[in-house]
Amino acid sequence: MVETTKKRNRIFNYFSTEEKFAGGVAWCAGCPLELTARFTAKVMGDKMIFVGTPGCAAPVLHGQNIGAWHKVAYLASVMTGVPSKATGLSRYFNRIGLDATVVCFTGDGCATDVGFQPLSGAAERREKIIYLAYDNEGYMNTGNQRSSATPLGAATTTTPVGKLSRGKPTVSKNMPMVMLMHRPRYMATATLSHLEDFAKKLQKAKEMVKEGFVYLHVFSPCPVGWRIDSSLSIEVCRNAVRTNYFPLWEAEDGKPRITVEVPAPRPVTEFTKLMRKFSHLKEDGLANLQKEVDYRFSLLKSLCDAAKEEKKAKAESK
Amino acid sequence: MVIKHKNIFTTESAWSDADKVLLCLDTGGWRTERPVLDQSKCNYCGLCALYCPPQCMLDKGDHYEANLAYCKGCGICAHECPRGALTMVPEGEFADEG
Amino acid sequence: MKAKKGTIRVITGNAVGAYGAMLCRPEVIAAYPITPQSEIAEQLAQFRADGVLDAEFVEVEGENSAMNVVLAASVAGARVFTATSSYGLVFMYDALQEASGFRTPVVMVNANRETPGIHAVSAGQQDMISARDTGWVQIIVENDQEILDQIIMAYRLAEDYDIQLPVMVNYDGYYLSYLAEAVEIPQIEDVDAFLAPLKKQPPRPRLVPGVAKGCGTHGIEMGYVEARYKHWQALERVKNKADEIDKAFGDYFGRYYGGQIEEYRTGDADIVVVASGSATGTARTVIDAKREQGIKVGLIKMRLFRPFPAEKLIEALKGKKAVGVIDRSVCFGWKYGPICTELMALSPKLETVPILSYIDGLANLDINVPHIGRVVDEVYAAARGKPYQEVTWIPMEEER
Repeated sequence: MVETTKKRNRIFNYFSTEEKFAGGVAWCAGCPLELTARFTAKVMGDKMIFVGTPGCAAPVLHGQNIGAWHKVAYLASVMTGVPSKATGLSRYFNRIGLDATVVCFTGDGCATDVGFQPLSGAAERREKIIYLAYDNEGYMNTGNQRSSATPLGAATTTTPVGKLSRGKPTVSKNMPMVMLMHRPRYMATATLSHLEDFAKKLQKAKEMVKEGFVYLHVFSPCPVGWRIDSSLSIEVCRNAVRTNYFPLWEAEDGKPRITVEVPAPRPVTEFTKLMRKFSHLKEDGLANLQKEVDYRFSLLKSLCDAAKEEKKAKAESK
Repeated sequence: MVIKHKNIFTTESAWSDADKVLLCLDTGGWRTERPVLDQSKCNYCGLCALYCPPQCMLDKGDHYEANLAYCKGCGICAHECPRGALTMVPEGEFADEG
Repeated sequence: MKAKKGTIRVITGNAVGAYGAMLCRPEVIAAYPITPQSEIAEQLAQFRADGVLDAEFVEVEGENSAMNVVLAASVAGARVFTATSSYGLVFMYDALQEASGFRTPVVMVNANRETPGIHAVSAGQQDMISARDTGWVQIIVENDQEILDQIIMAYRLAEDYDIQLPVMVNYDGYYLSYLAEAVEIPQIEDVDAFLAPLKKQPPRPRLVPGVAKGCGTHGIEMGYVEARYKHWQALERVKNKADEIDKAFGDYFGRYYGGQIEEYRTGDADIVVVASGSATGTARTVIDAKREQGIKVGLIKMRLFRPFPAEKLIEALKGKKAVGVIDRSVCFGWKYGPICTELMALSPKLETVPILSYIDGLANLDINVPHIGRVVDEVYAAARGKPYQEVTWIPMEEER
């Protein structure tokens, strides 16, 4: 045996509380959402309440008759009502002095499409709730239909590849940027390859929600829908970060900063080659996607720079 | 009406109670291959256990082993191991273990 | 034990709605403005600003959110209140289903207004009708005093352990929402006393952080059937409970409303007119006038619409020779008005009598004295064997 570190990896310390979910639950083999849910429950602690909704999470977050797959209190909701229900809960618990962390747990379909209005409303009102959107870039539980989070050129069952169309013709909503414009107390992007970064953001979310609205956008690829080998899920997350396809950043009160710097970003093809949802794209299609990735990152970078400048100016003026 | 149904819920509406019934699937029965560890290569870095979606890696003090009751055989642990200490082996090779 | 005298104020139906809510001490309120109800939200906000109402007030971005906020707070154990009308009511359609299916005792006032099939900003009961299958208790009131009293009774009904259902108090937009009448506002201590019996009942299930219970689990096969069955049974229990609460209210505050229905001069009547809402007030005048002319006519005021007061109606219509039903809405797919269609479902138990359907009062056009007079005359003729029109759209038959 090679020399061991013998000490347990310190990242476990972030996730050291008791496992809330049953050992065997119905998420697909290799699904990053399973990791997201288990870790979120571990960091948020005993006083967490889920508000879940139809999507990939619901079959596990919500029970079946009197049985449930985990020991967390939850309230099920249709997609149009998630953050509003969370608002009702958090306002009342606050009022009666009951310690509670209310977490909305929805997919990108709910967050960017059918449930966007109440999400935007709750964010604007600074409701003390955490909204976690797991982004698998489509309606995956119903079989991979496009959502407004589906990227440019991606093949889905409703934006298929055929003689007349080559995947989704429009760019996705830049949801993290949209939420940044709401200036939540705290928001962050996170993914499952960078666990310590994710853990820190979950911890921060748990603290910051006492002061205002928190939005977490978790990049969670779908091995089944994107046609990735189940063993590559984490590598896909990692490459998404390394190509700037999904930069990791956070923002307090609307002032963003990048949390995982990528000094030499790789071409987006390093990401797209791992899955078959982009395999129909030729050079021009891939070039368009690269342009979109570059544009988004430059936008993010300029906002981060502006925030840094403002911070410096404030510090100097003191 | 003669009611023969025996109530499933103790409540008026549909509430689940995990303290009464905690559901669990035999996800171990899903897999077609399982991770096998070469302990000589393992340095207990823990990445396999951290990245395992069902969080079913058991801590053995100086290495980790998959809990075969729940391991779905996704292969993430083997792919992510920096030392190549884990290999995915088809279930058929363990048929006589039952 | 009797309540003390209340304070008399001359206020609009909307303001009354806000007073009714305030007196019952709701803990979480969410509301979105919509004509003809906006004043309720304004009055509640003013109460709060003046320290008279200590409640969480969520200024939501839409009615769908309003219902979601209050139903969730109710699942957590709060007493809640909201108010809407027409377009807002249909916008919260999915949340209405969850509110009743999750058995939350939400109390909501609905200022009746036409639904958006044709854009209109006018009174009508179409909104209430379009929500009749949402599993809610639905009550219709006649005047401002009744709005206030019914809100208080609604909490006593909704939160009753045997019921646990949301209650919608319907009142005519414009006719009542903007009408200022003299209303006796009870003392808040008396309202507390009237609602106090609820505290002695077992607590309903509630969501608690740290307790492994979840609301809204999937209903699989018989789980679903059982939950629906229990809901259906609870709605049936509402009928007797509504009568009990009406009596308790009357005994304490001195105002009785009849419970499921109110019967006005039906005892010795040969024919009956069935009406609801503010038009009932006009109808009473017509009934009295016709009685002077020797026509033995009575009036049934529909108060409880959901659940449908079938047994009470059968009892009240026993021996009557003809019935006229005035609907302030349309029943899509049936010739007759909605309430009339439902009453006709009782036909086998009524002995075959002519049931005449009248559709009137749409789009803020008045159900006035001549209209109701015509209804009485035609029902009277039908009772004496003359041929009659099964359904009449009164406004369509008028020359303008």
